[in-house]
Amino acid sequence: RNNNTLLSCLGAPVIQCIRTHRTNTWWDEHLTEDNASFLKKVVTEEYKQQTTDKLNPLKDEPWPRHEWAEGSRRVGLVAVKLGMMPVWSKSGERHVVTMLQVQDCHVVKHLSKEEYNGRTAALIVGGKNISPFHRPEGYLEVFRNAGVPPKQKLTTFCVSDNAIIKPGTPLYAAHFCPGQYVDVTAKTIGKGFQGVMKRWGFKGQPASHGQTKTHRRPGSLGPGGDPAKVFKGKKMPGRMGNIYDTNHGLKVWRVNTKYNILYINGSVPGHRNCLVKVRDSILPTRLENNKNPPFPTFFADGDKELPEDLFDEDVFQFGQPMPE
Amino acid sequence: MAAVCTSRTRQMMGLLRILRNFSQNERLLSTSVLRHNVASDGPPKFTPPSKPVIIDKTQKEASLRRFLSPEFIPPRQRTNPVKFSIERKDMIQRRKVLNIPEFYAGSILAVTMTDPHVNGNLNRFVGICIQRSGKGLGATFILRNVVDGQGVEICYELYSPRMRKIEVLKLEKRLDDNLMYLRDALPEYSTFNFDMQPVHYEITGDVPVNLLKVKMRPKPWSKRWERPKFNIKGIRFDLCLTPEMMEHAQKWAEPWRPYDMLKEYDTSSLEEHIFKEVHENLRK
Repeated sequence: RNNNTLLSCLGAPVIQCIRTHRTNTWWDEHLTEDNASFLKKVVTEEYKQQTTDKLNPLKDEPWPRHEWAEGSRRVGLVAVKLGMMPVWSKSGERHVVTMLQVQDCHVVKHLSKEEYNGRTAALIVGGKNISPFHRPEGYLEVFRNAGVPPKQKLTTFCVSDNAIIKPGTPLYAAHFCPGQYVDVTAKTIGKGFQGVMKRWGFKGQPASHGQTKTHRRPGSLGPGGDPAKVFKGKKMPGRMGNIYDTNHGLKVWRVNTKYNILYINGSVPGHRNCLVKVRDSILPTRLENNKNPPFPTFFADGDKELPEDLFDEDVFQFGQPMPE
Repeated sequence: MAAVCTSRTRQMMGLLRILRNFSQNERLLSTSVLRHNVASDGPPKFTPPSKPVIIDKTQKEASLRRFLSPEFIPPRQRTNPVKFSIERKDMIQRRKVLNIPEFYAGSILAVTMTDPHVNGNLNRFVGICIQRSGKGLGATFILRNVVDGQGVEICYELYSPRMRKIEVLKLEKRLDDNLMYLRDALPEYSTFNFDMQPVHYEITGDVPVNLLKVKMRPKPWSKRWERPKFNIKGIRFDLCLTPEMMEHAQKWAEPWRPYDMLKEYDTSSLEEHIFKEVHENLRK
């Protein structure tokens, strides 16, 4: 650091020039090719080992499992949005369905009531596996403590005390049953700087009949001389999208246990292959459908073999004889 | 088929029709004949019908026409291939129950659907297929016919559970993939008799191409079919347009399009994989 000592003696404001030297290197800058490929192999093997270790939660001192009670909240999942598909009900109505695949979902950390917010306990859940090479050390530390490969997305779920799970347990799509309702949160597709018609749904002005240079403008900004100002929060053009948004009350039509895919009614915020947070719906009218779920989560211990596809009662399954 | 049939006689009629159409379609691996299960306990369980083993000694498999329905080919997108493979499984499962034959835009089809508003619950429509669109389970095709002087187009979903039967009355191709211009053509080109009998077609060799050039009604049309973006070869432009109008339409030609590398989508290897997968699964 070069301090301007002359000026500081004079009592004038000290202008300090701070010279920094960037010490960032990327992970294989100082490695030979052999070492880099070796590291990659080692990392993939380590991930496989870690996932197989965590496959049997019964083996290493599992936490006690409680029964579901009214008013208890359980964990959710992190899933990848694959795409959309049509689904037909037994009465012949066509609904559209989004496919969400649960890829390598693990519970990563448990925060007790005192640590989190004083009211509910929290569980941090991680999504898709990613390479450890381009992440900071602090980020990777959490996963090392849990014995789990590093994940792309981490979310917190507020959870009641009887639903806490040991960090490191894998979570599967069978956690949700067909017929229940979920809320899905994700970052919406960024649209950039957008005008008021697209962003807020304003009607704009007519295309003809004498309009001078005014077709998509907001028009008036509020009342006149009395407030003599524009109120805070006035809907105006600006950046649209790329924010977290939730769609509530989406029905789960079908669950594929082999590939861990959830078929969820309607559309879900986010682009294809984006990571999405799924949890039980909090809408009061849908609480009845969410009764008696696998609590605290679905454990693949091996005693209960689930069929490859679980369908809701209303869904028309393609192999079955046609109704009516 | 106007008589009120019991389900048994309907099955026998179905069997007879299938046996009659034997020569047309060799690949009848699954019949939609359900066996009566007189179950004493609860509703009858669905037992898949026994598959008839049809050994065709006249033609070898290599000479049969390899046809892959266009909705199996995934579009060029950034989606995970897992999604397409799962959708294909569902499509194959549906095809095992309902026979979806090979057809193109320009073939004449007869489609039977369940309809709650009709007395006998079934609704039959005959028409020429003018367009096949959609990929995956949502694939659709549009049938056009002129009924009592009124042109009618119905868009059917191939994999809808309401479809009962799809028969190909005449298998042929036309000069274009999309025959939407039949809306502006003279009605005689879109009229087909509902009682049309199925025409025999070969299962080996190429599909017959109908080189019919259609006469149009006077302009204005619903779309400017003479423009090069539609690339229509099946209209007799010399009867309805002057050479000056044809030259004027060439102003909208985009001669760089065939060289656009971003629009290139080579599906040959994909098609082969998918064809093998589909046929293996259908045979099971």
